[in-house]
Amino acid sequence: MAAITPYTYIQCPCSDSSTLGRSSDTNSSRADGADDDDDRTFDPRAPRSNYSLYPLEYLLYCEDCHQIRCPRCVAEEIVTYYCPNCLFEVPSSNLKSEGNRCTRSCFQCPICIGPLAVTSVETKPDPSLLAAPDNTAAPQSGPYALTCSYCNWSSTEVGIKFDKPNGIHAQLSKLRNGGTARLTAKERKERRRDPSYRSSAATEQGDGRSGSDEKLDLETQFANLKSFYQSQLADPNASDGGLAALSDLGFSSPTSLSRIMSIYTGGSLHDKKAKLRVGAIREALEVDEGLQLADLDESAAIAQLHSEGHDGTASTSRLSDQPPNFGEAHLHGRSRFVSELRPIPYLLRTKRSKRCPVCRHIISKPEAKVQTTRFRIRLVAGSYIPSIAIRPLSLSSGSGTSASGSAGIPGALLEPLKPAHYLLTFTNPIFESIKVTLGAPAKTPGRFASKVTVLCPEFEIDANTDVWDEALKDPSGAGELRDRERERERRRHKGEEGGNVSNNNNQLEVGKIWERGRNWVSIVVEVVPAWLRLEHGTEEQRLREDEDLLEIPMFVRVEWEAEAVGDEVGAVVGRDKEAREKRELAYWCVLGLGRIRH
Amino acid sequence: MSLRRPPRGEYIETDTGNKVARKATLVGTQNIMLGGKTVIQPEVMIRGDLVRTIQASSQSGATPNSTAVAIGRYCFLSRGCCLRPPGRLYKGAFTYMPLRMGDHVFVGPGSVVQAASIGSHVHIGAKVVIGEFAIIKDYVRILDGTVVPPNMVIPNFSIVAGQPARLIGEVPEGGHEAFELRDLYKTVGNNPQPAPS
Repeated sequence: MAAITPYTYIQCPCSDSSTLGRSSDTNSSRADGADDDDDRTFDPRAPRSNYSLYPLEYLLYCEDCHQIRCPRCVAEEIVTYYCPNCLFEVPSSNLKSEGNRCTRSCFQCPICIGPLAVTSVETKPDPSLLAAPDNTAAPQSGPYALTCSYCNWSSTEVGIKFDKPNGIHAQLSKLRNGGTARLTAKERKERRRDPSYRSSAATEQGDGRSGSDEKLDLETQFANLKSFYQSQLADPNASDGGLAALSDLGFSSPTSLSRIMSIYTGGSLHDKKAKLRVGAIREALEVDEGLQLADLDESAAIAQLHSEGHDGTASTSRLSDQPPNFGEAHLHGRSRFVSELRPIPYLLRTKRSKRCPVCRHIISKPEAKVQTTRFRIRLVAGSYIPSIAIRPLSLSSGSGTSASGSAGIPGALLEPLKPAHYLLTFTNPIFESIKVTLGAPAKTPGRFASKVTVLCPEFEIDANTDVWDEALKDPSGAGELRDRERERERRRHKGEEGGNVSNNNNQLEVGKIWERGRNWVSIVVEVVPAWLRLEHGTEEQRLREDEDLLEIPMFVRVEWEAEAVGDEVGAVVGRDKEAREKRELAYWCVLGLGRIRH
Repeated sequence: MSLRRPPRGEYIETDTGNKVARKATLVGTQNIMLGGKTVIQPEVMIRGDLVRTIQASSQSGATPNSTAVAIGRYCFLSRGCCLRPPGRLYKGAFTYMPLRMGDHVFVGPGSVVQAASIGSHVHIGAKVVIGEFAIIKDYVRILDGTVVPPNMVIPNFSIVAGQPARLIGEVPEGGHEAFELRDLYKTVGNNPQPAPS
């Protein structure tokens, strides 16, 4: 079993209202009893919790609502589309016409999704040559192919070769697997109009069995069907057009009236005419109309399966990676074999800005350019709410009790029923001193309740002072540290290096802070891990998934005084500049300490 | 060497703050550029000898650029990793190309890097293989055991994993600071500082 490093997840308040709505959560019996939301303990094991807990880095903060925002509740807006391979920006107008894939020469291997490189077919497949990003500079010529330098797949395997080493996307869109040309929309239209082609095709068919055996490719069939149904839709209107033609609005026409009636009555009032009209639309009957008989003869596929076996078939993930409408095969004969897969043009990626769902203010906005990593706006929760770091605390045997020897090693398993201590370090990111109040249930929720004691649930953290002070914390500049800082620094080092035996003030004491620094405070949490055996529960002895995980729900309330913000209309009116306002932020978080031995 | 000298530390610390382990293998040191404050742990190998043999035509007049590996500031090369410039055929002859690395790049233990360029704030996990001429942009996290195929481009803010590498996520807005390696730099050397809690 993999040991875990301690973690802190924070619950986004966006999921609060939804849980409020349903108090009948299956495994929080306590929650049912308490109507008041304040009394309810957050259960990290509840199925719903999976979707509301985030590490601090993933959370944003709305400065106007003074609330945490998570990836689930923010509204995203796309700033830029770009290809992840060539890093070219794709204008949104191109996106509408060309689709969401790169139309340059960026392709992924259909087998392993590695990047494909254009190489010359003529030369010997030399590995160093395959690795070359572009061989356009190389003196070779002749047909080119896309090759994967990871799995050595080559587009020649599906019979695709290119005349030119550039503009691969345009060339590929005209090629079917096996190298036969594929009709463009324009060509298809011309062929439909051109009767000479159709007759020649019919003669080629030879045994003209009503022509419906003719193999249509997907695009042609779709085009045929589309034009057929369009004409079908147009037809009934034309038939009853005698009356409708009298007035432009068509209100005098009984059919249009009945149509309007059926819209408003939901189709329950069928009159005969409407039924007749529905019947007037028929299905396609000919190849020209888009009829394609299903090819139920799968003997070729079966034979191929016999010869190639399971390895020759394409997995669903490979098939889902295939670009839509690109397969040459018909819908009911989708490419099922590895040998039919085509190169995948890269899907475009996006840069997105994020908005607060409540006040619609932008809380994160990257620069539009693809290559830059800067953000215009980036309000991350980490710079507004205190971060919580968890470290196992090993108390040496000097304190009398043989406490938590194993907890000293990070990631070690927790011994059941043996008290273990953890150091929680709260770091204050804001420039005001904050008052933190913690609340944790005495017993963790779930079948196996571990006992939890927060030794110091209320404390204050000093403000995060100037950046320069932080820089001077560097021991090289220790001389310039202000006296107060130096004093703290010394105290801190004594705590870390002096060991706990010599440090009498570092005894575990209820209500006392373990250590404090410039803008951080460490407190101790004592846990008594549960005994992972049910005493008389014979019916379900086995542990469920992650039931050995010791997770502590903790309610964190942060209070601070901030300068009254001017942009809040009315808030500053009648007050002087010095006005301070009290701020408060409260949220649930989950401390994952480790796994309990069982 | 006089006996008065203090006992030799595990690292050689240069004026620019580089900490190079004595047990690291640096080949062709004249072709390796370190930006400063870079940590090179023991058993690291940097192949500075694989220098470009054919100069680009534009540079023919100027002094030959013989940098094989260029590393920025605050990079951290963990134990047992290897940096190797990529090579390929160029105008009919085989040549190596320089490997460039930005600032705050962490290379995990046992990883092999043959990329053409690595941006800044990149975290490469343990036992990762980065194929020849891969281009890795900024703020990229490559998880342990990943194999990045040759020529792959990994754009900004990507989290990749798997064999071959596949995009599995994006670096969140609040995760940018985690790439800073200033604190890690202080924890190694001849008189290391404890990691800040």
